[in-house]
Amino acid sequence: MIKAIKNWLKYKSLNFKLNVSILTCICLVFAFLTFYITERAKPIIYKQTENIARQTLEAYSYDLGHLVKDTEQIIYNIKNTLNYFPKDNISSIKITLNSAIETVYHSELNYLNAWVYVFNPNNVAKGTLYISSQEQNGEIVFTSENINNLYDRFEWFAQTPKQDKIYWTDPYLDKHSNQAVVTGLIPFKFIDNDKFNGLAALTVNLSDVQKAISNYSFYETGKLLFLSRSGLYITHPNPDIALKTTVYELSDKLGLPELASAGKEAFSGKKGKIELPFSSIYKSPTIYFYTPIEPINWAMFLAYEKNEFLKPLYQFRTLIFLSLLAGVIAISFIVYRICKHSTDQLLVLGQLAHEYGNGNFSDSFTQIPSSKDIDILSKALSNMRTDLLEYINKEKSQAIEKQKSISELEIARDIQNSALSIDYPQHEAFKIATLMMPAQQVSGDFYDFFFIDNNKFAIVIADVSGKGIPSALFMMKAQALIKNIAKSKIGVDEVFYRVNNELYQGNDACMFVTAFMAEIDLTSGKVDYINAGHTPLMIKTKLGYRFLHPQKNIVLGVKLDTEFVAQSLILEPDEHILLYTDGITEAENKSFKFYGADRLLKILQKAKNEPADNLNMILNDVKKFTKGAPQSDDITMLEFAYYGFKKSAIKLDADIKNLDTLIDFIEKDIQKYRFSNKDKFKIVMIAEEIFTNIAQYAYKDEKNQGVEIKTDLVDDIYYITFIDKGIKYNPLENKDPEFSSDIKNRNIGGWGIYIVKKIADKIEYTHKNKQNIFQIGIKIKK
Amino acid sequence: MTADRKKLYIEQNKDNSTLYCKLIGWLDPNTTPELLDKINLEGVTSLVFDMQDVEYVFSSGLRAMLLFQKKLYEQGGTILLVNVSDSLRTIFEYTGFESMLEPKP
Repeated sequence: MIKAIKNWLKYKSLNFKLNVSILTCICLVFAFLTFYITERAKPIIYKQTENIARQTLEAYSYDLGHLVKDTEQIIYNIKNTLNYFPKDNISSIKITLNSAIETVYHSELNYLNAWVYVFNPNNVAKGTLYISSQEQNGEIVFTSENINNLYDRFEWFAQTPKQDKIYWTDPYLDKHSNQAVVTGLIPFKFIDNDKFNGLAALTVNLSDVQKAISNYSFYETGKLLFLSRSGLYITHPNPDIALKTTVYELSDKLGLPELASAGKEAFSGKKGKIELPFSSIYKSPTIYFYTPIEPINWAMFLAYEKNEFLKPLYQFRTLIFLSLLAGVIAISFIVYRICKHSTDQLLVLGQLAHEYGNGNFSDSFTQIPSSKDIDILSKALSNMRTDLLEYINKEKSQAIEKQKSISELEIARDIQNSALSIDYPQHEAFKIATLMMPAQQVSGDFYDFFFIDNNKFAIVIADVSGKGIPSALFMMKAQALIKNIAKSKIGVDEVFYRVNNELYQGNDACMFVTAFMAEIDLTSGKVDYINAGHTPLMIKTKLGYRFLHPQKNIVLGVKLDTEFVAQSLILEPDEHILLYTDGITEAENKSFKFYGADRLLKILQKAKNEPADNLNMILNDVKKFTKGAPQSDDITMLEFAYYGFKKSAIKLDADIKNLDTLIDFIEKDIQKYRFSNKDKFKIVMIAEEIFTNIAQYAYKDEKNQGVEIKTDLVDDIYYITFIDKGIKYNPLENKDPEFSSDIKNRNIGGWGIYIVKKIADKIEYTHKNKQNIFQIGIKIKK
Repeated sequence: MTADRKKLYIEQNKDNSTLYCKLIGWLDPNTTPELLDKINLEGVTSLVFDMQDVEYVFSSGLRAMLLFQKKLYEQGGTILLVNVSDSLRTIFEYTGFESMLEPKP
């Protein structure tokens, strides 16, 4: 139940909650107080009422009793007076009655109607009745009536006990006045008589008493009830009951036996109280007090509604309720106003917080009139706004910075990529392929390849310690150094010596590079290589791939003036060199296992001749192995396939018609080298001049046995060798043509060999086995 | 130039005593006889060869030039080679015939 109310209240406004709780408490307290007070007051009120009722009844019954006694005194007086008179003395009776009337008339008892009778039953026939009345003309008048008219009163005579005591009749209706009357009777005797001579009587009109009692009300509804000895109600608010019904009949009729017993008790002279659930007067619980009226054995009841006297209490309660209601409304209103004042501020703050949440910071706090407690919140929110604004601005600039650094990273990657060789030379003697997959945007790995000269090609692979921008920067430096120093043609060991020292300078970050470099003589297949802490190289021979575990050297960049030891090997045509970084062998899978050298060897068993295909195959196998695991390190591979040069030679008929074929051969031959145009021009010039010379002179008179032309590139010198079987002829022995300033004397011929001599860097003639061997060397400029 | 670069093409343009020849191709033993044939120096005092599109001048070509020079010399004329490539120029320099060439700018 309480839980249900709690849940119900949970989502109501603060205002509502406060009102409900405060008002509930107030109402509970007041209800308790009211209940307590009324319940405490009730018995007190009952008791007080009862006391008053009892006293009232006492007083009334006493008064009535007194009245009866006074009345009886009058009757006694009549009797006593008659006792002094002789019998049947009318005048004495007249005197007596006169006196009695006089007494009644003058008494304080205001019997408006009273009759005094004296009659003698023995002398009915002659009996004389005197009636005194003050009504008629305001005088006391004696009248005598014929006894016959009073026959019905003889029964009184029979009923009245012959004793010296007044007998009271039940109330009855007087024939003349039709009013309720009651008659008190007492036997008397004249002085000279021993027997009773008659009855002295006084009839009292009860209407006054009835009126007085009926008009009386105990407080508002309380009533006095007057009962005669037989139980007849002399007075009763209900006219159908008064003088018609007895208490016993009523008791039977209402089913209230307590009423009958109360009557009996009262008639037997006892006082008491009964409480009835209802009565003939009230439908609600009724209290009856009863008391006898001495000396006539009549009774008087005081009846009242039990709860009538609680009315003030109830009124009091109503008053409390009404004031409570007024108070509650007032408190509710005050609470509502206070709450609203606070919650309005809270709402404004809430609205602001909402706005701030939506990123709208334009509203500030100037418009909020805040109370002391709300002020704390208000200030806190204000501070929050400032902080948020600051934070957002900071975040914004950080985001910009971040964006900047991302684009910077992209630029760095582009720069790095541009530094990596992508210009794969189309070369007769070799083919190269590379593959690189950085773990991050920028790589710490690098590969490189470049011509050191026309015949020497260098391949490099390296791995810089660490990752990210610092590694990338260090990588760029290392790559540039190696390339630049290597082009000095000083040998790989010296290259690494110098590069190491350069990298060592200012290497405060203590970075280092593991590197492998090889210089390949494209003509001979000789490879000079050096390994500075890098993974072992692999070579592919006819037997497949294998590791070559070379002389280990220290990594680059950590130790000054280190001697690096180079090694060499000879590559036969169709043999490969495979270089890789440890991103391959130390590629980790989900179970933290390395890819390893064994698996590399195994996959390479499937290798073909195409270097690029082999590298892709390795990468796919690594990916297969590490499936699902993030790439832990940069992966870089380089495969160099050596083919060597095909033997460059041609045999032609020594005829100038073959000049075109010769020049085609030469041009094609030198195309595989990266000669300058000037060197190419020189070579073509020489080849043409020598061939023309041979064509013109070698087989002048003999059978043309042709000319063999061979080319070769050795140590930057391009050699063309002409071999013919013609007449022994050494062109070097020719006399140079003379240059004459006189145009007429200028030599027309002989310029060919002269030009050759001028252009060639090396000229050698031998005659061997009847062959003219003429070799010309052209130094190739780098 | 779509033509075979090893052949020789000659475009002649005579203006009074000046013969202007544009040569395209090579001057080698196979092509120079044609050149000697085609160039008629009668009444020519100034022979100009545009060497713009000449890749090689071998000794045979050099010889032809010398012959033209001699003949012109006898007629009181001169020979001039214009638009000579740097490589070709070296050949003329080696042989001491740079006087035939248009001076280097």
